[in-house]
Amino acid sequence: MPRSRRSRRTLTVVVLVVLSLSLISLDLNGRTHSLTSGMKSVANDVYAPLRQGVLDVINPIGNFFAGAFHYGSVQSENERLQRTIGELQAQQAERTFEQRQLRELLALARLPFLQSLPTVTAQTIDEYSSNFTATITLNKGRADGVDVGYPVVGAGGLVGQVIQSFHHTCVVRLVTDGQSKVGVTFGNNQLTGIVDGQGPGNAMTADLVAPHTPVHKGEVMFTSGLDAASYPPGIPVASVVSFHTAAGASQESIEVHPKADLSQLAYVDVVQWVPPT
Amino acid sequence: MTARSFVRLALVIFLALMVQQTVMLALRVGGAHPDLLWLLPITAALIDGPETGAIVGFWSGLAFDLVLPTPFGLSALVGCLLGFATGTLTAAVDPRAAWLKPVAALTGSVAADMLFAVLGAILGQQQMVQVDFLSIFLVVAVSSVVLVLPVSRLMRWALAGETHRRSLVPAQADSRLW
Repeated sequence: MPRSRRSRRTLTVVVLVVLSLSLISLDLNGRTHSLTSGMKSVANDVYAPLRQGVLDVINPIGNFFAGAFHYGSVQSENERLQRTIGELQAQQAERTFEQRQLRELLALARLPFLQSLPTVTAQTIDEYSSNFTATITLNKGRADGVDVGYPVVGAGGLVGQVIQSFHHTCVVRLVTDGQSKVGVTFGNNQLTGIVDGQGPGNAMTADLVAPHTPVHKGEVMFTSGLDAASYPPGIPVASVVSFHTAAGASQESIEVHPKADLSQLAYVDVVQWVPPT
Repeated sequence: MTARSFVRLALVIFLALMVQQTVMLALRVGGAHPDLLWLLPITAALIDGPETGAIVGFWSGLAFDLVLPTPFGLSALVGCLLGFATGTLTAAVDPRAAWLKPVAALTGSVAADMLFAVLGAILGQQQMVQVDFLSIFLVVAVSSVVLVLPVSRLMRWALAGETHRRSLVPAQADSRLW
């Protein structure tokens, strides 16, 4: 191979690698992140309707075959859901009184009550778009009042937090993602810890809990809402699956399971809440 | 690269992106889904050499970066390196060998996923190595072997007219479209 062709090829690759590294550093730098974020935003605004158009065409075909092959299970799923709706309606009636009392107590403590906070209901349009992150994409964005940092709830508990917000879509980091950390309280609100995501498919852990702290299996951990917390207090985050303290350990090992059913995220609520400054 | 090849290549990248974000995301097995992105630089490199592989890898990676929650530019970097490495490592192999495409697709996709995760972790995204690598590698490897032939046909159409297994850029060209 001629030397000139080889050196031109090397130059091409070097230029492309340098260009890629420059884009990465622009994205990771806090001051220039808005440049790459703006590019992503424009691309998403163009791409989202096109993608939806394709889904509108292929989804009915997929649903037809799925329905035909799983007719029996769809029917039993429907019956189960009807039963669940009935149970939830009964529970809602019972809880009205308790919620009023809780609201009054939280008002006394000057803490925000989740149900008094404004929310935006959004539909999930994408799940786990990368094999390496636990994220979902919602069909609501800045134009709908959804901003970066807002908590997302649904399916029985905390789902995650908005990490990217575009004009009409946003990306939510799920609580199971390795980057997710949620301050929690449990045990009559006297104990605190951090629920850490360990990546999709891996069990979550509750960290920074003192050795031999009394917890029990199934105990629910709620967002603590402590100073500078990223979430308002009182959202169910996870329940305890197992716990033990190894000899000489500086903290208790607690394995937890997300309260929100992350396999049922068709619709979620984005809570328009920012941490108090 | 001629303007016609460039337009065709853009169409192929767009088609791959759409198929990835609609059909492939729905085909999740063990929490992992197939990844079409890496097949674009691999097939381009097999058809037209390492320089074309790197260029296709960069542009296709950049297109995918626009819709992925991972750092912007990371897919472009990995795609570029993958295309260049595939073209260089297979330069001495007879391109008509039946085993070449499946083997290149399998090893290239798995290597690219590994590099993607490690570089992501180095760049501060530790969650990218907190995944079930076995599931991801299995799903990506098997799907890449299955999908490499149709993607290769598309890439051959996109690069039609370019010199086979040689640089895309004509020796007398003053400007490049990358």
